Amino acid sequence: MNGAYLLSQVANGLILGSMYALIAIGFSMIYGIVRLINFAHGDIFTIGAFATLASIAVIQAPFPVVLAIVLVVGAAVGLLIERAAFRPMRGAPQVTGFIASLAVSIIIENLAVLTVSAQPRTFAVPAYLNRLIPLGGLNVRMIDIAIVLLAIILMIALVLFVRFTKIGVAMRATAENYDVARLMGININRMIGIAFAIGSALAAVAGLMWGTKYGQISPLMGVLPGLKAFVAAVIGGVGSITGAVLGGYVLGMAEVLFVGLLPPEYSGYRNAFVFGALILVLLVMPNGILGRSTEQRA
Amino acid sequence: MLRLEDVHVRRGGTHALRGVSLEIEEGEIVALIGANGAGKTTTLATISGLLRPQSGRILFAPGRGEPERDLTKMRAEDIVAAGISHCPEGRQVFANLSVTENLRIGAYLRNDKAAIEKDVADIQAQFPILRSRAQLPGDRLSGGEQMMLVIGRALMSKPRLLLLDEPSLGLAPQLVEQIFDILAEIRRQGVTVLLVEQNASMALELGDRAYVLEAGSLVLHGSGRELAGNPDIQRAYLGGA
Repeated sequence: MNGAYLLSQVANGLILGSMYALIAIGFSMIYGIVRLINFAHGDIFTIGAFATLASIAVIQAPFPVVLAIVLVVGAAVGLLIERAAFRPMRGAPQVTGFIASLAVSIIIENLAVLTVSAQPRTFAVPAYLNRLIPLGGLNVRMIDIAIVLLAIILMIALVLFVRFTKIGVAMRATAENYDVARLMGININRMIGIAFAIGSALAAVAGLMWGTKYGQISPLMGVLPGLKAFVAAVIGGVGSITGAVLGGYVLGMAEVLFVGLLPPEYSGYRNAFVFGALILVLLVMPNGILGRSTEQRA
Repeated sequence: MLRLEDVHVRRGGTHALRGVSLEIEEGEIVALIGANGAGKTTTLATISGLLRPQSGRILFAPGRGEPERDLTKMRAEDIVAAGISHCPEGRQVFANLSVTENLRIGAYLRNDKAAIEKDVADIQAQFPILRSRAQLPGDRLSGGEQMMLVIGRALMSKPRLLLLDEPSLGLAPQLVEQIFDILAEIRRQGVTVLLVEQNASMALELGDRAYVLEAGSLVLHGSGRELAGNPDIQRAYLGGA
């Protein structure tokens, strides 16, 4: 093993972690505000990948436009799901929401199989995204640099939004206490809708990244990354945006290094490793790395 | 200004309010006293739209000559916009928000940015501790400081009517005194107050009028002085013999 190999593994961990982090943020935001684990979140990632395919293959949109389309499609699907599946169940026991989200997930996956078929699809990405760029002794593809930079930009924008804007402050207030938030004049359904829109838009962008990087997408592609991002959110401390980011990078890095540094015969266990890591972290830190107690205030 | 007409509220299995009718005139401080579980908090939550009554009307006009609206048909956030601010029981500062963010969120429905900042500065001038602790999370303040914060937060919406639930709860006597001074000042600024209190002696001293709530029904009503002199009240609420 040499330095360059290790460095390239770290780079791969960073890239994978960026995508996990973007998906994990949505899990965390949505849980933070409605105490719902949205199992359909991984399917929004899939929808983002297909929106990418459609806008590249069908309307030949230039890449920045593709990105905008994917953001809008993701946000719209998130809003629609919240409105149709979760808002009618507001106030119902938590488990009702879990089951509703499983139902949504199964509906999306089956609709996708029916309409676009389960066959994996490839799509051509613009040539410049595959160009190799020398970076610190490595040759890195443009798309990989773009993934990491775009993820970081989006995450910084989100943190600034939640920290400093009026809506961001109102979302934090809503996450803490619905009734008191309403007494401030905050429309909590609107705040919940915004959380779904933002979280889903970020997951859709992760789908764009995934599809563009690997060049192949399928209706069930979101299942495993979705579950792993959920693991990342829990490891980081579900409900916390910075926790989700941290969890995403920790998990992405750990997974890549596990596969890259151990003998090849172990690489088949990468998923077992991810979920094993979850169990270990939760044994030591039941609220995750940055999570506060998840007790809901009365 | 505010008129409750035969308001019934069921909460879970209990009939929490059984035909409550009361009236508040502009400029008054009206106290609502009663034992634990009598329905005082339920009354406030029903006025502010957190709870829906089964029957009855709640009519509110922000000022003389302005049209009355039935609050039972409005959402909580629209009731805030109509001019009612509810400062809930147990203080309820936002722990995830800084002290200043807690104040600003009280002005959520306002868009006059410069005036909001001026009001924040005014409240900080009135309660200097809210300035020196401006960046701390809201829950890092002491109980008395949190009380000042939530009263300030409730005033940030520029209400015409302030609903105040148990401001003296859990505070040292000298702080209670201070809270009541603040209330007198709020009235001087032209805000009408409906005050729910377990501390009946203070409430009767401060309130122009008071209602006594027992098991979801109003059983007595009179001026603060009258009620404070009533032997039944003295026995039940003022610790008299």
